[in-house]
Amino acid sequence: MRRLYDFLEQDTRTASLARIAISVVAVLLIWQVVSMVVTNRLLLVPPADVAAALVHEVVDGAMWTNATATVTAVVTSFVVSVAIGVAIGLALASSRMLSLTGGPVLSALNSVPIIALAPLFIAWLGLGFTSKFVLVILVAVFPVVVTTEAGLRATDPQLVEAARSFNARPMQIFTTVTFPYALPFIVSGVRVAWARALVGIVVAEFFGSFAGFGFAILSASQTFDTARVLGYVIMLGAMGLIGSVLFASLERRLAPWRQE
Amino acid sequence: MNSAVRLRVEGIGKTFRRRNKPAVEALRDIDMTIAEGEFVSIVGASGSGKSTLLRIIDGLIPASEGRILVDGRIVDQPGPDRAVVFQQDSLLPWKTVIDNVGYGLSLAGMPTRDAHRIAQRFIDIAGLGGFEHHYPHQLSGGMRQRVNVARALAVNPKILLLDEPFAALDAQTREIMQTELLSIWQETRKTVLLITHQIDEAVFLSDRVIVFSARPGTIREEIAVPLPRPRTLELKRSQAFVGLVDRIWKLIEAEVRAGLKQG
Repeated sequence: MRRLYDFLEQDTRTASLARIAISVVAVLLIWQVVSMVVTNRLLLVPPADVAAALVHEVVDGAMWTNATATVTAVVTSFVVSVAIGVAIGLALASSRMLSLTGGPVLSALNSVPIIALAPLFIAWLGLGFTSKFVLVILVAVFPVVVTTEAGLRATDPQLVEAARSFNARPMQIFTTVTFPYALPFIVSGVRVAWARALVGIVVAEFFGSFAGFGFAILSASQTFDTARVLGYVIMLGAMGLIGSVLFASLERRLAPWRQE
Repeated sequence: MNSAVRLRVEGIGKTFRRRNKPAVEALRDIDMTIAEGEFVSIVGASGSGKSTLLRIIDGLIPASEGRILVDGRIVDQPGPDRAVVFQQDSLLPWKTVIDNVGYGLSLAGMPTRDAHRIAQRFIDIAGLGGFEHHYPHQLSGGMRQRVNVARALAVNPKILLLDEPFAALDAQTREIMQTELLSIWQETRKTVLLITHQIDEAVFLSDRVIVFSARPGTIREEIAVPLPRPRTLELKRSQAFVGLVDRIWKLIEAEVRAGLKQG
């Protein structure tokens, strides 16, 4: 047992894959046990049924259609929201005035449940790509804005002073000190933004689309096909997990000194 | 020794004015010169403005009065003729040793290959060979300060400014770093200004020790250190050395005690 702990605590790829595997297996086990107690198949289906439903979706091609729709929309909107978030964070960090006047508006917007406005966006922008794009950006942009500004402001003044003593121009201070210092902060915001973007895309697809995971979940639940609902939810969970693992390892790569 | 004046500090005064707070006079009427190749230290109680003076000389902060001349030319901005070794960790944590040592050169626009070649030379001088590709967090405090010294030397400054460079190190490491600094100085013949609160460090390293009084910082006395070179740690046990340390301690003792009471 002791050896297992030591192994799992390691900061290696094998150890982190093992951690993921153990927690996935644990969830599947609990799920299996609960579904043997709860026998109403409208409420809960066992993991094997969900797997069968997923296989069926792949075979008849629905999975491919839905995955293409969701992944295209969420990745595009996510990339754009990271770009916008970093740009706004830069502006806020470089201007005290902007930060003081724009900050309250941003934190108000951040606490508003923008997700709830999804029907409104669809009324404004139609059922196509644009409404999803805008909704995902609005929910995903804030964590990036906040961490970018915080990261840029957190820069160690010692490092800036040392750069200045070596004659660094303001732009060089930004590229060699301030921005590299802020990068791991920004990536942690990006990690949160990815999770939010996934929620945003599903809700947008609930209200207005003819393909995508959100659309598939909604139509499956309307026909009480619980296995299919859970199958698509698992797909979303997998996307979330992959993103989280990827950005966490990027964060570690960018800031190895924080481990110590 | 060459007697040409390398650094001239003329009538420097500094008052920090902040809104809603009383102005603080940190330095008053500082006049001093340092000859080419000379090693000079400034000691004083905390609050004597010695680090402020170093920052003014480097051009990091402006003086309220007076001027700084390097080789007869007025300087009021950082320049390649001066380089600072800071007290705290001021190395870039995401750069390796060789990139940190070459940092000043890269900022000046030197291609990486050339910067690395020059950096390598100072890595060897500073005894960092074999650690070129380590990151600062993988090194001990003493090793990190060697990187700091190598980084300052790599830009080939005329004047090396050291701001309590060994203050964060333990006593044994500090003594070793002092002897290494001496041998590097012997090898490169830089003009050095060292700020320290360690009187024995100042006496051991310097040709001349300038004693500051506190609040505002003014020059209380200049004391020549006529001890023979090259110096080894043995010197610290000699009568002449102990006498000089004692004399300087008596000059600042009252202020150090006053500082203790102020907390």
